[in-house]
Amino acid sequence: MPMILMEELAGNWDRLVVKDAPAAAIYDNPVFHQQSTVGSFSVRGWYTELRRIGAAAREMLLTAAATDWGVPVRECSASNSIITHTPSGRSRSFGSVAAQAAELPIPQQPELKSNADFRLIGTSPKRVDLAGKVDGSARYGIDIALPNMLYAAIKRCPTLSGRLKSMDDTAARRMPGFHTTVPLPDGVMVVARSYWHARKALAQVRTEYELGKLAGVDSPKISQIMREAFNGPSAVARSEGDAPAALAASTHTMEAVYEVPYLAHACMEPMNCTVRIDDTGCDVWCGTQAPQGAQHAAAAVLGIPAARVRIHTTFLGGGFGRRGEADFVTQAAAAAKAAGRPVKLIWTREEDIQHDFYRPAAAIRFRAGFDRDGKIAAFESNVVTSSTPTRMAAGPSFYTSGIADSNYADAIPNFRVTGVDANIGVRFGFWRSVNDSHNPFMLEGFIDEIARHLKRDPYQLRRSLLQHPSGRRQLAVLDLAAEKAGWHAPRPGHSLGIAALAAFGSYIGTVADISMKGSQITLHRVVTAVDCGVAVEPDNIQAQLEGGMVYGLTAALRGEITIANGAVQQSNFTDYRVMTMAEMPLFESYIVPSTAPPGGIGEPGTAPIAPALANAIYAATGKRVRSLPLSRHGLTFSVERASA
Amino acid sequence: MIKLNVNGEAHSVDVDADMPLLWVIRDELHLSGTKFGCGIGACGACTVLVDGQLRRSCMLPVGAAAGTAITTIEGISTDRSHPVQQAWVAESVPQCGYCQSGMILAAISLLRQNPHPTDADIDTAMTNLCRCGTYNRVRKAIHRAAGSSTA
Repeated sequence: MPMILMEELAGNWDRLVVKDAPAAAIYDNPVFHQQSTVGSFSVRGWYTELRRIGAAAREMLLTAAATDWGVPVRECSASNSIITHTPSGRSRSFGSVAAQAAELPIPQQPELKSNADFRLIGTSPKRVDLAGKVDGSARYGIDIALPNMLYAAIKRCPTLSGRLKSMDDTAARRMPGFHTTVPLPDGVMVVARSYWHARKALAQVRTEYELGKLAGVDSPKISQIMREAFNGPSAVARSEGDAPAALAASTHTMEAVYEVPYLAHACMEPMNCTVRIDDTGCDVWCGTQAPQGAQHAAAAVLGIPAARVRIHTTFLGGGFGRRGEADFVTQAAAAAKAAGRPVKLIWTREEDIQHDFYRPAAAIRFRAGFDRDGKIAAFESNVVTSSTPTRMAAGPSFYTSGIADSNYADAIPNFRVTGVDANIGVRFGFWRSVNDSHNPFMLEGFIDEIARHLKRDPYQLRRSLLQHPSGRRQLAVLDLAAEKAGWHAPRPGHSLGIAALAAFGSYIGTVADISMKGSQITLHRVVTAVDCGVAVEPDNIQAQLEGGMVYGLTAALRGEITIANGAVQQSNFTDYRVMTMAEMPLFESYIVPSTAPPGGIGEPGTAPIAPALANAIYAATGKRVRSLPLSRHGLTFSVERASA
Repeated sequence: MIKLNVNGEAHSVDVDADMPLLWVIRDELHLSGTKFGCGIGACGACTVLVDGQLRRSCMLPVGAAAGTAITTIEGISTDRSHPVQQAWVAESVPQCGYCQSGMILAAISLLRQNPHPTDADIDTAMTNLCRCGTYNRVRKAIHRAAGSSTA
């Protein structure tokens, strides 16, 4: 984002200083309308506005310099934070006229560069955050230290709907360093002199819980509820033609059910927050994707106006959607209020895994009908999700995204997407790529099934469904991924799987290149092509695609949060195992050159790996994977390594 | 009082002997580059060198580290001049950056034992977890550092 501003400003990148913004409406994303780093909205939301701001500032600086020199503005130019009067060769720094420039009216229609004149956009200057991230000096939320600060540890009812009935902290009070016990609606915190003292004292607190509505609920039951919901009432998200009638009239039909489990975010930095209350309001330090959410959470606990809560945003050790929530802010504010001193709350990893806002379990029943020529005449998708977001209104248009807005729809005359909100009460969270973390896995799997059923090449069938204007960009990434992966000539013994989709304003296609020995998958490489509009920072795009793929592949291989008696059964990296260095595949990414406005890049990369891999497994074995994770299918995983 | 030598400086800390070294480093000595990730030695975010050996400080009681020489991320150079740090910047390895202190110390330890590791050596030695998916860049940076003479 600084590159976009600096491009139009003509500023010197080496002198750039980046500061975290406080919570304030002027920082609201111009497209998303919240000050949130979510939904892959940052660059695509701010692209035009940051250019306008940079260009307006440049015009003001040029005007101030020209006025001071007594020359026409059009004879002046700016580069690297230096203003030059071309005819005389005189030059001066931005800083020398900044004060005068600030007094000028702000141009409302500043002239923007043409893309051909970009000098920063499209390049990869060194990121300004690297230095602090290789010497340990980058400050994350967990690193905040204040004078007179105490530490809080937290433990809540394992059953997600649990409510605290009673508590006995007699033993905890006798522990060294103990300061305060803070009961919560669903658990308890202990505040102590050090974090270690807090942890030890907390272990001595005895609690009794009312388990609530999730008592007795387990994963098999949730799966059963979702599958039964296929036959109940549903809401229509999209309907073209008359799919039920066309299905009934089809010469032959197919049906398949796909399902995925809950997932946790497992950010490397456990949730934490530091709060200091004073007479004027309070200060909150945390890594957050949503400073305004944090501000309101603390204000609600303290009963003060949000404007009196000062948010200090730090680096965050992974967000992935988890840090768009503010539960940890609410708790830290309660702890600081109870203790009467500044408090840093730190969750354990176990709390993090067991009290997340989860990517919901979801299932889709697909039906397809074919005419005599083998064309898809009807396509029905019934999307069932086990949880929907509680902090925003979201109907079926939300959780069917990736299906209802599929670019295949224009090629299918009768296309119907319905949704069922079978909310069983497990907390929903936005998990990197949101619905695109599961809907494309299912849709691209079923499309692959259709191709096999019709005895058509899965790549060519997809091509045939994208031969219309809305399919053009998806077709291009599909083609590029297929070409770069050598779709038509796999290496001997190798099998390829392909998937392509549109998500977050971008288009992405991926090919997984595997071989199989029995149940052992060897992933040789992953090839991805993306069209994300103007590629603002190609090296970062590559990093986001690779990181997104790892996030999606981890989930595909063995990502699974299971529920028993309403409680999450996993607790740490030993039973919620994330991908390791030894499992990291070779990854190639290709960016389609584009002058279209930027699309999102943080999330699209997560979506296509699961279907590409599952489709490759089918190509290798004839076994169709309709649910994740792959570990549930008795499949094991390794990657190819070049020797040497 | 427990005596520790951290990054060449002698410290005496008044803490329980069962307090993990991680929390002593972070909360008593205020060296916050060493991170808490899992508390069970599974993720490597808390990695430090104890008498030159890689240790996961969240599992090491400070009493067991008494009298040892401990190196944290802050101790490997004063100016980011260590070849591994330079390689990390050259390859733009970090994303969120939270796991990187541990990654860098693990890489330094690997290169001391094996100045020219193969990919397989890196797979075996680098067990630190990263949720941002920086593994391929970590690998490239280790190879780059191995190519520089002083790693």
